[in-house]
Order: sequence, then structure tokens, then C-alpha cells
Amino acid sequence: MNKAILSAVLGAALLATGCSNLQSNTASIRDLNDPSVSGHVLAEQVCSMCHGVGGNSINPTFPRLAGQQPAYLVEQLKAFRSHDRSDVAGYQYMWGIARSLTNKQIDELAQYYKGQIPVPGQAKNAGLVAQGDAIFHNGVEATGVPACASCHGPQGHGHDGFPRLASQHQDYLLKQLSVFKHTNDRYTGLGTMMSPVAYNLSGDQAREVAAYLSSQP
Amino acid sequence: MNILNWNKNFNRLREAVSTQAPVDLWRTAVQKVTWQGVSVALLATVSTVASMDAAAVPLFARQTGQNCQACHAGGHFPELTPYGRMFKLTGYTLGQRTSLPIAAMAVFTSTSVNGGTGTMANGQPTFNTASLFAGGKLTDSIGMLAQYTYNNYQDGTQSGHMGSDNTDIRYAKHIINDQTDLIFGFDANNNPGVEDVWNSSGAWGYNVVPGSTGTGANQLPLLAGGLAQQAVGAGAYLYWNKTLYAELSGYRTGDGVFSFLTQQQGGQGAYLQGTNPYVRLALTHDWGTSNAMIGYTYFDANVYEQPAGLYSGPGTYGNTGGPVDEHRDNMVDFQYQYLLDPNVFTFDAAYTNEQIFYGSGGLGGAGGTSDSINEFQAKANYTYQAHYGVSLSYFNVTNTDNNGLNAAATCGGSGPAGVGQCGTEGWTPDIYFMPVQNVRIGLQYTLFNRAYGTTVNATANNTTMLYAWTVF
Repeated sequence: MNKAILSAVLGAALLATGCSNLQSNTASIRDLNDPSVSGHVLAEQVCSMCHGVGGNSINPTFPRLAGQQPAYLVEQLKAFRSHDRSDVAGYQYMWGIARSLTNKQIDELAQYYKGQIPVPGQAKNAGLVAQGDAIFHNGVEATGVPACASCHGPQGHGHDGFPRLASQHQDYLLKQLSVFKHTNDRYTGLGTMMSPVAYNLSGDQAREVAAYLSSQP
Repeated sequence: MNILNWNKNFNRLREAVSTQAPVDLWRTAVQKVTWQGVSVALLATVSTVASMDAAAVPLFARQTGQNCQACHAGGHFPELTPYGRMFKLTGYTLGQRTSLPIAAMAVFTSTSVNGGTGTMANGQPTFNTASLFAGGKLTDSIGMLAQYTYNNYQDGTQSGHMGSDNTDIRYAKHIINDQTDLIFGFDANNNPGVEDVWNSSGAWGYNVVPGSTGTGANQLPLLAGGLAQQAVGAGAYLYWNKTLYAELSGYRTGDGVFSFLTQQQGGQGAYLQGTNPYVRLALTHDWGTSNAMIGYTYFDANVYEQPAGLYSGPGTYGNTGGPVDEHRDNMVDFQYQYLLDPNVFTFDAAYTNEQIFYGSGGLGGAGGTSDSINEFQAKANYTYQAHYGVSLSYFNVTNTDNNGLNAAATCGGSGPAGVGQCGTEGWTPDIYFMPVQNVRIGLQYTLFNRAYGTTVNATANNTTMLYAWTVF
């Protein structure tokens, strides 16, 4: 082996390390038990691994957080921290992440994601989207499902504690509707309102409304 | 998690089996394996689970507060998810330091070989290995995983040996913002490939369970664990934009001050000349529920033909003397993962070619001659709800025989009389159940199409294995 090459690579990397340290002492901290770390740093160093640096995650296991309503995010993070929200993916991933977050960090995280720009998904099935559009804005009269827009806003952007749903992953929305319909794992806060809604929504209707929302900006 | 040792165990088993015989009694062994193995596995599992409290989950799970499934695809450890890879690449530093920075692993197996009965590991339950893990997050940029293994079944007896196992120490920085996403770091370890996050090389290869047959008795490239706990290495790596991974490391003999990392089972066996390069490149892409990787690994190691003190030729003695064989490994690998609860599907394949250039006659060949080894492995795995799983592996290992590589002794076992070949080929189906996230109970069957280079009587090597694998 050419030791000179190895030394050069290691030397360059060490130099880069030194430069990055000069740049910032806190920018690379992934400590979830350090209240001095800002929500902004946590979002970049920790949350980005699953949710994407701009809150536009790729795998639908992880919700898109870009543009999400801060009050909703605060409520959810606190519910993870207190274990009041216990859906499977929630406790598998988020209980640990949220366990030592301070209220200040939670507020900062919520503001960080509010400031990110959501990227809508692609509508794959125009028929599904059209059906979902109708359900979202008008509800399903026959089964007493109210219009989603009445709480989540006409464009699905949410407000206050009602979450933004537009541009969310279709699979994530479907999973959460299933959680609301079949479990009490999210029976906390405003989530209590969703159980009867989801209960009266059929599987096909859930797919339609999820397809519609995921394609919206 | 040392494939070299698993292979050693398997080879010792093979040697013992070949001296016993009555082939037609193997069914009795299978019955024994089934009932005795099940009893012990279940008892072990139940007692292990019962002794755990809610917080008693493995080291990294305690550090992150997350479930095993977050980092291991479908909970099928040790296979990593994209998030698990990021956790490792950022130096095991995500989370919070724990007051108990250790974890333990135990493997119970019961094995039955088609062509033989009556050995300690054949048809009887065996407490195979136990490991202690230590480390995790040390500082905001430094973390480690150090494994110390108690190998209970060794030398054909239940007398145990303890020693250092896979160790991986990292320093990592992650520069990430709207414009940049760059991880870079340094790594020191004691097994070429243990630092890899795609589980393709031997160190954390996920096509084997501790104690299983692996690819059988054969000659494998050095990358398949041949220098595990024999060499120490250090290097630098970067992962750019979740797209390009590049690493350059150098490995040398793990003696002297590094002995604590290498003196595992039986002490130092391999001595390297100088510093030997390890290069790893990978391209990755995530889309929707899927992610894929295509990669390349290069490892070029100069290994002394005789251990220190045994060289009897001219010149100096010790680990700097004697003729040297160059082992040049080139590996290409591919991985695909589909991850969306409750379904997890993964596929991986790796092909390794090793060229051996002999310095003199260490393996019986003249200086200037060479041999080659080709190893291909592929595996498909499906897990449902992180509880139920099935996998199918395929392996095909061949080598040339210019310099006695195929002699029975260098195949690592005692092949059938008159057969002087090493190559193996076969399939390993495996079904498993994970009642809780840190326990896996499985039944594995390895079907040999070819053993010792021949299809004749290859099925005598077929192996059934029941295992209980716990981490706590």
C-alpha cells in the first residue's frame, strides 16, 4: 500500500475536521439529552435522517413535516414524550427521540418545519384523486362522514392543532386512518375527533382521499 | 459474529462427523434435534425474556430509545435500514449516553448433519456463543461498538474460550443544511469489512446465523472474515448527499499494542506485511418505499506464508520474515430493500474474486504461481410485522487448484476419500419467528448441491439447524 496516499487522505480528512470545528461547535451534535442544543440543529442532525432535511421524507413510513402546523407538531411531540400516542411506528421510532426533548426544543422544531417548503407527490390515478377530492370537500353523506375540509381547511393546509394533510404521503395517511379506525393509539387531544370519522370511512374511500391529499401542493 | 470461527466450528464438526458414520441413522438425529433442540431453545428463550425488564433492551436501543426495527430491516438483525446505516455512519452518536453502556447476545443451536450423528453439536442442543457488547455514544462525535465473545463450543468440546470479537470505533461529523449533506469520519476496527454498513462482507453478513454452516467447508476470500480479529485497520470515509459512499482504510497485523483487539480464539494466526489497502465505493438511491445500493470493494493484503517464528528459510525470523502471498480481493455487491410496515423485503447479492499470488511455496505452490477463489452469495428475505420471516440464500464457491488449495486440509475439513476439491454450492432456506424484538427462533436447512468440488454424495453435508438468538 502506498502509505503516502493513505497519509494524504487521512491528513485531508483531519484538516476538514478542524475546519468544521472552527465553523461551528454545536452544528454536529446529535445528543438528544442536551437541552442546550437548538431545535434547528436537532432537525438537521437527527430528524433529517428519516424526515429529510427540509421535512420532505422519501419513505412513507415517515411523515412529511414540511409546512406542518406548529401547534399540531407540538402536540404530537409531547404525546410521544408522554407516551399518550402509541401507534406502532410512533413508539418504535418516536418515543425514544422525544423522551428528553424540552418544551423549548419542541417549539423550535415546530417552527423549523413550519418554515420548510412542502413538495407534493405525483397523482398516479386521476380517478382516485377526483373521488378523494369530492370526499375531502363534501364528506360522505350516506355514512355521516363530515367534510375533511371543515377542519383541515379547503386546501388541506390545516390550522392551529389541525394538521396539514396536503402533500402528505399516501401510505402514511392510509396508515393513520387505519390507526384511528382500528385502535385507540392516537386517542389523545384533537386526535379523539378522528376515530368516528375514520370508522365510517371505507377502505376504498380512505384510499381515494389519501390519493387526493398526497397530490396537493 | 465471526464467520471464521463459525466456519472453524463447522469444519471441526465435519471432521468429527466423517469419522462416525451410519448414514441411515441421521433421521434419528433429526428427531433428536427437533425435540431436544426445541425444548432447549424455548426454555432458553422464555427464561431470557422473563428475566428482562422493560428497559433491558440492547445497547443502541437504550441509547436511542428506539426499537430494533428502526435500525434493522424488519427487526431482522444485523441487516440495516437506511436509518440504521446513518446511525452507524454518524459514529453511533445519535441519542443519549446511557448509564449501562453494554448489551449481551447469546446463541443456542442444535444441528443435524445429514451424513453423520453422535457429535457434540450434531443432534444435541449447544450453547454456541455469547457476546458482550460495549460502547455506544462516547462523545458528540465519537462512538464505538466493541464485541467480546465467549465461544462455548470449540475444539469439539464444550470448553469455552473468550476473546475480542468485532470492534468498530468511529469519529464522525455530519454537515447538513439546505445545500449540503456530507458525512465524513474516521474508523478503526479489527476486521476488514466490519465497518461496512451494507452487510455484504463477512463481518456482519446477514446470510448466516452464528453456528450455521455458512457456505460449508471451502476456501473463502480473505474478505469473508479471513482476517477477523487478526488485523487492525484505520481509515477515512465520506457519504455525500445520501448518494456516494467512499472509504479508504489500511490494515496491518494486529499484534503488539493492538493485541487486545485480535487475540481471540487461538491467538494471532495471520501476519500481514506492512499496511494493506481496503477501498469501498457505493452508490445509493432511495425512492418511495425502496432503496438500492450498488457497490465495489477492493482489498489487497500481503500475508506471510508462515506465522511468526515458524519460517525456516534464510533471513530474519518473526513476522517480518519469510515469503509473502498476496491476496487481491475484488467484490461487487448489490442490495435492494422494500420497507413499509408490515412488509419488509430485502434482496442482496455479492460476488467476490480473490487472486492469490504466491511468494514461494507456502501452500505447496512455487513462487510466481497463482490461484483464484470465486464466491457468490445472494439472499432474499421477507419479514411480516417484524415477527414472522422467511429467507432463501444461495451460495456458490469455487477455486482453482494450481498450488494445493484443494487439498483436504486447506479446504478446512476432511472431504470424502479421493476427492481433492474445495468448491461448494447450495441453498439455505430459513424460517424464523421473533416473538419479541430481541429474540429470534429459527429453523434453517442447508442443501448442498456440491461439496468438495463434486456433486457426488454432496447431500451428506446437508444440515438442519434450529437456533434461538437473543440480544438483551
